[in-house]
Amino acid sequence: MCWSRLAAHAWAVTRGRWRVTCLGFKGFSQVFWLKFKGKSMRLISFKMMLQATAVLALLLAATGPLRAQTRAETLRYVTGASVNTLDPNIPGATRESFAVSLSTYDRLVSFGRKQLNGKWVFDLEKITGELAESYDVSPDGLKITFHLRKDAKFQDGSPVTAEDVKWSLDRAVTAPVLGKNQLLTGSLTSADQFKVIDPLTFEVALPKPDKLALPNLAVVYPIIINSKVAKQHATAEDPWAMAWLKEHTAGSGAYAVESFKPGEQVILKRNEGWNRGTADKAAFFKRVIVQSVPEPATRANLVERGDADLVIDLQASDVQSLEAKAKLKVISTPQYNAVTFVSMNNQIPPFDNVNVRRAIAFALPYDDMFKAALFGRGAPLFGATWEAGKPPNGGYPIPQPVKVDLDKAREYLKAAGLPEGFATTFSFNVGQASTAEPMAALVKESLGKIGIKVDIQKLPDAQMSTQINEKKLPFFIEGIVAWLPSTDYFYRNFYIGNQRWNYSSINHPELTAIAQEARFEPNKVKYEEDGRKLNAIHFSEMPQIPLWQPNQDAVMAPSVEGYTYQFHRQVDYRDLSRK
Amino acid sequence: MSSLPALFGVLVFTFLLMRVLPGDPAVFFASGPNAGKEEVELIRKQLGLNKSIPEQLTLYLYDVGRGNLGRSMMTGQLVTKDLRERLPASLELTFTALLIALVSAVPLGVIAALKPGSIIDHSVRLFCALGVCVPTFVSGLLLIYVFYYLLGLAPDPTGRIDVFTSMPPSRTGFLMIDFLIAGDIDGWWAAFKQLILPALSMALFVIAPLARITRASMLVSLGSDFVRTARSVGLSWRHVVVTYALRNAILPVITIAGIVFSTMLGANVLVEKVFSWPGVASYALDALLSSDYAPVQGFVLLMASLFVLVNLAVDVCYGIADPRVTIE
Repeated sequence: MCWSRLAAHAWAVTRGRWRVTCLGFKGFSQVFWLKFKGKSMRLISFKMMLQATAVLALLLAATGPLRAQTRAETLRYVTGASVNTLDPNIPGATRESFAVSLSTYDRLVSFGRKQLNGKWVFDLEKITGELAESYDVSPDGLKITFHLRKDAKFQDGSPVTAEDVKWSLDRAVTAPVLGKNQLLTGSLTSADQFKVIDPLTFEVALPKPDKLALPNLAVVYPIIINSKVAKQHATAEDPWAMAWLKEHTAGSGAYAVESFKPGEQVILKRNEGWNRGTADKAAFFKRVIVQSVPEPATRANLVERGDADLVIDLQASDVQSLEAKAKLKVISTPQYNAVTFVSMNNQIPPFDNVNVRRAIAFALPYDDMFKAALFGRGAPLFGATWEAGKPPNGGYPIPQPVKVDLDKAREYLKAAGLPEGFATTFSFNVGQASTAEPMAALVKESLGKIGIKVDIQKLPDAQMSTQINEKKLPFFIEGIVAWLPSTDYFYRNFYIGNQRWNYSSINHPELTAIAQEARFEPNKVKYEEDGRKLNAIHFSEMPQIPLWQPNQDAVMAPSVEGYTYQFHRQVDYRDLSRK
Repeated sequence: MSSLPALFGVLVFTFLLMRVLPGDPAVFFASGPNAGKEEVELIRKQLGLNKSIPEQLTLYLYDVGRGNLGRSMMTGQLVTKDLRERLPASLELTFTALLIALVSAVPLGVIAALKPGSIIDHSVRLFCALGVCVPTFVSGLLLIYVFYYLLGLAPDPTGRIDVFTSMPPSRTGFLMIDFLIAGDIDGWWAAFKQLILPALSMALFVIAPLARITRASMLVSLGSDFVRTARSVGLSWRHVVVTYALRNAILPVITIAGIVFSTMLGANVLVEKVFSWPGVASYALDALLSSDYAPVQGFVLLMASLFVLVNLAVDVCYGIADPRVTIE
């Protein structure tokens, strides 16, 4: 009854020129007055509004259970970063894009997982087949033969063939893509190395036996693309369909892209035919929503309220309070392939003097910094004791035998000819401010005690990377990460050459020689010995001071299971399931 | 038309400013774990940064003339596409906030002016002071904390629409309108719920200038001769206040509303960040932090054009509010 009246009023309203003039009280029921062509009439009474609200509430209640069910089959992952491309190879691809590509594309092989201190982490030593059912390495280590799965299909239903694999890997080493520099580290440099034997057999030839060749085929970049589809979208200027693949996928992965809004969200739906997982079945979640939520406090609220299922980039303080409430599951894994440093430019005075670098190493307030910046959430790389001053093993990074010892620091300064200290700047980037800001204040305070006057400089991320690249910063905080964390890899990439990642700009011929040699060292004992030598040089030269390996704090709903810390430091949605 | 030289100036100025800022986008975007020199060079070439600045400027102006604002490195999309998708979000939020602000500020100002020095006047003043001194991100976070976290009344503050609700076919880009066109009332309600908290926290911040200016100009017009005359001839209270006093007092309010609107569009970046609102301001901020030139330049151009449009709209409103004002 009142609906028809309402409709009639609405009709009248849209036809005439009208305005709401005032609202008043009439008895106990509030009424809205409408002036219509000079004549006042009652529009909606309070009672009507109540009825309408009740109907709406009923409607909402009715759709509730249906929603709850699909909600359980949906994984909602929130992150401060965003996905900017569907092809992880595009220069500028974000880490979130890498994570999405792991679910949308398959690779030939993938890493297994192992338990480290009770937590699941990726296992570099165990390489299992993904699109390849099995692989053989020839006795001389120069040939790797992959046998592809017979049942593997792309998301459009066409079978995955060795031709597709060849096209995809050719693209990864020849097109102007990110994969090129990565695959280089596994001696994969040219399309000539890849050979199709038959539709299901594929061969990779290596110039030298390289232990990183196989692991490199399991990293983010060498995705296997449906070459027939991609070729249709290739043009003369863009023979590798880079532009098209940036916004579309043509893979065989566990999830297909349902919607992609760059910078906002990606919604993935399960590929029912996918069976390359460790358990040989399709992925658990029917849908995965990857959503950008820039504000960390909001992310914490979302996961605490149960509206988001998983988040890995909360602030340490929020993680701590959520952990204390014990309502959610918090899995903290030290990022054992990442290191945070206080770095010094070894070419800029006074840091070109090894004694200055040592003085700094003994003047940093390690414990306070660790607590202030990370709330102790990580694996410290300081305060170790080395027997007879020798590194205990050849791994990288290893805890250094350094601690705050201001007297020792003063002695080193004296030895450097700077007993009165000096003035310098200490830089960090804005993106790291929540951890770096308290660190910088503590560094300033502590170095002040030995006469070193520190000016703190906070730089926008792009400026910081530019200045590091130009080797202009004397003293700063930085972090490194390696996907394939072996000792020689770290030393070769982060301690050699006049390039950006050599943060300390160290130029040490002996270190360079040992690291290059260790790369192809087949003998494990000798490799370990090389690692020890490198670690000893690192300590005596102290080009930069390793501080810690921060934790990856994954906070998730109690029902989410299977979380594994991955080499790319993102979540592999395929690992997850709900109880 | 007369605003074209100003727009051109803005364009060139922003272009040069972005080039002067330290920070090399090529280096920043080549931040993969293995990005080497070649890769930096490659990106530099892609962005056209290997050319000289006058050459880049000419190319840029040529492109802008053809309606191409360049490509964002951050999202990988064309800037025009990004802005087109994000502008309605910002506009919808700003319009709603301005509406809330006007609807509450004008009556508050009028009431305060009617009883200057009274308790009401002082409480309005206190309310305005609170609104201004609490930054929008604080009020935003507080609103989220109370209405979402504690009470659970508001939906999760993640953008324009709940992720589980499907979007209406995009016609205007304004969800409030698109849902109505599609006839999807549930969707409209969902979008409305998402909108109300961010709009409120933005409105709180701008109520103060609007209410204060309403009060001041109402005081002037209430004390003027024509109001005294109107009162003396025994016109009704409502007639005196609304028709005579307010209508005459509204001009400065419109001016301020215009300025407030333009400021809000650009300055609501904090609210956009807190509520994960996919608007233009947070887009420009992200771009600025990563030295992504094209989106920042596009954003500034957009803001300048909007400012021109808003000024035009304000002028038109003048004409409506005060028949003596005509646009020549």
